[in-house]
Amino acid sequence: MLLGPWYILVELWNLLTPLTLLYVAISTFIGIVIGMLPGLTATMGVALLTGLTFGFPPKQAIVILICVYVGAIYGGSRSAILLNIPGTPANAATCLDGFPLAQQGQAGPAIGLATTSSFLGTVFGLICLAFFTPLLGQIALQFQSWEFFWLAIFGIIVCGNLTAPTDPLKGWIAGFIGLLVSLVGQDGITAYARFTFGFDQMRGGFALIPVLVGVYGIAEVLGVMRETVIPRVVMQIQKVLPRWQDVWQYRRTMLRSGVIGVIIGAIPGVGEDVAAWVSYDFAKRASKHPEEFGKGSREGLIAAETGNNACIGGAVIPVLALAVPGSAPAAVLLAAMWLHGVRPGPLLMLEFPNYIWEVTAMFILASLAMLILGLSLVRTMVKILMVPRPILMPIVLVLCVIGSFAISVRIFDIWVMLAFGLLGYPMRKYNYPAAPLVLGVILGDMADVNLRRALIRTAGDVTPFFTRPISLVLVAITLFTILARAHWFRRLLATGSARLKTAFSRG
Amino acid sequence: MAYELRRQDFYTGLILSTVSLGVIVESWRMPRDLQGWPAYASPGVVTGLLGGGLLLMALVLTIRSMRRSGAPLAITGTDARAYLFDVGTRRLGLMFGLSVLYCLLLGRNVPYWLTTGGYLIAVMFVFRAGPWWQILLISAGTTAAVAYVFNRIFAIPLP
Repeated sequence: MLLGPWYILVELWNLLTPLTLLYVAISTFIGIVIGMLPGLTATMGVALLTGLTFGFPPKQAIVILICVYVGAIYGGSRSAILLNIPGTPANAATCLDGFPLAQQGQAGPAIGLATTSSFLGTVFGLICLAFFTPLLGQIALQFQSWEFFWLAIFGIIVCGNLTAPTDPLKGWIAGFIGLLVSLVGQDGITAYARFTFGFDQMRGGFALIPVLVGVYGIAEVLGVMRETVIPRVVMQIQKVLPRWQDVWQYRRTMLRSGVIGVIIGAIPGVGEDVAAWVSYDFAKRASKHPEEFGKGSREGLIAAETGNNACIGGAVIPVLALAVPGSAPAAVLLAAMWLHGVRPGPLLMLEFPNYIWEVTAMFILASLAMLILGLSLVRTMVKILMVPRPILMPIVLVLCVIGSFAISVRIFDIWVMLAFGLLGYPMRKYNYPAAPLVLGVILGDMADVNLRRALIRTAGDVTPFFTRPISLVLVAITLFTILARAHWFRRLLATGSARLKTAFSRG
Repeated sequence: MAYELRRQDFYTGLILSTVSLGVIVESWRMPRDLQGWPAYASPGVVTGLLGGGLLLMALVLTIRSMRRSGAPLAITGTDARAYLFDVGTRRLGLMFGLSVLYCLLLGRNVPYWLTTGGYLIAVMFVFRAGPWWQILLISAGTTAAVAYVFNRIFAIPLP
């Protein structure tokens, strides 16, 4: 643990080959472009590149995916500032102050501040990743079947709750659908083929990447092509490089947003968009000038961008320690690690002792590439924003098809992708978040195998599910999350706390 | 206040109820003494529980939509016509139809460059992406690049 920084430097040195650096530059640029273009999200970008880099050596494939992830979450700020349209959902909060700044003729400084705060957010996230993953890994070693079952359920409930804040029922429904989707095919204990309806192709279940590409990629292509609105780009961009004082005076906001981003990132499936909104909200509450928020506040812009990028590191912590993704793009990253023979989870530190440091080194390269490209290629990237969607979207669909096909070389996967695109489109339209579905697809097997394995171990006794300390904590949080959305429970809590207050004030 | 997704929630709830009932029935029909494993380890345990949970949530969604105010639940002919003749629906149908056609042709005896090039040209023409020479150039370039990179560089067979 104490030697961590040294190991990170060693891994960084190992990564510094001309070919890897070229991949880092190209993939970060691709990530920024994907994030920047409204309709293409970070999850879709990472899923697409997972298929496209399937033939690459594992180390280079993962570094490419990490660069795309970091680049895309940052890249979305560009369209948020210049178009008032978030490039990815993670940049929705950036629009509130980024676009007003651009309208005031400060598009350049806004881009500069967004880039710097995204960079610092990512660096904060990767420091937390390097520090907390081994610690969480130690705790995770105490997890057994009972805890892993509850962890899967906890992830779905919390993710559904936070990604559909106005109607968590829809988030939970999406999560349960995801869990059921993952259970199609032969089960992990008896190899019985479930819900295959006589189709041999379905015995192996649905491959994760076609499902993800469908839900995120195809659904987005269909959504964008349905619209006829052509966005207008703010073109006047002056000096981009931010002044040191501008960054330094908001150091507290950055630190706060970084902490919020990492914590939210570590919660299963929640992700960068929630991190940005919560960071923005906290910054507004703590600000000396809350009245400026929404009218071009630099503090608001910095809070949103630091929060969403710090979330990336946070989201990768549970990926490495528990094999549970903290966000949708992290879910794809987890799937990519599996594809390339790495098995994240409690045994990672034993099986691949240097992997955490290697991933941290990859994040360092990605964040540096993002900073350099973000501050230097501003005008070139603005031109990309003007590519008409009817040109871009069919090309994206062709890449989605080849990406889904490349992994197993099966036409069946192309149909799976299309079917999930057809499911993903109405889900988006009728406010069912995709993140719980993705998380469900990842965690379904964990829930299934561990529940049944635990029952076998206790000869059908369910008591340990509620009496083991970690299980009990997970059950309590899961139940509280569900009950907290019920009016009667909130009224009960309010009455209880009012009575307690009265009792204490009398005393 | 009127809830704008009342009708959608109602029908989604009904569809999900039917699906989850199907899941429960199918889970119940799964073997309960497979290879000597006890019934609580049967492959239908978790799917049955999830089906039950989904059914409960689908019923809540349906009942909640019935109790809320908003658009009437019944779909009239006028509503259906308005939706079908909407520009957005037409664009969506066209894009999806062309994409399904493209996927149908993949893996048959039609060369990849022909299906992909044809698909790109068709979509760009239908959605008026630009002048014809630009569409042809972009489609040919994209098809050639995808085929070359995947087939020649990554050695992945094309669909």
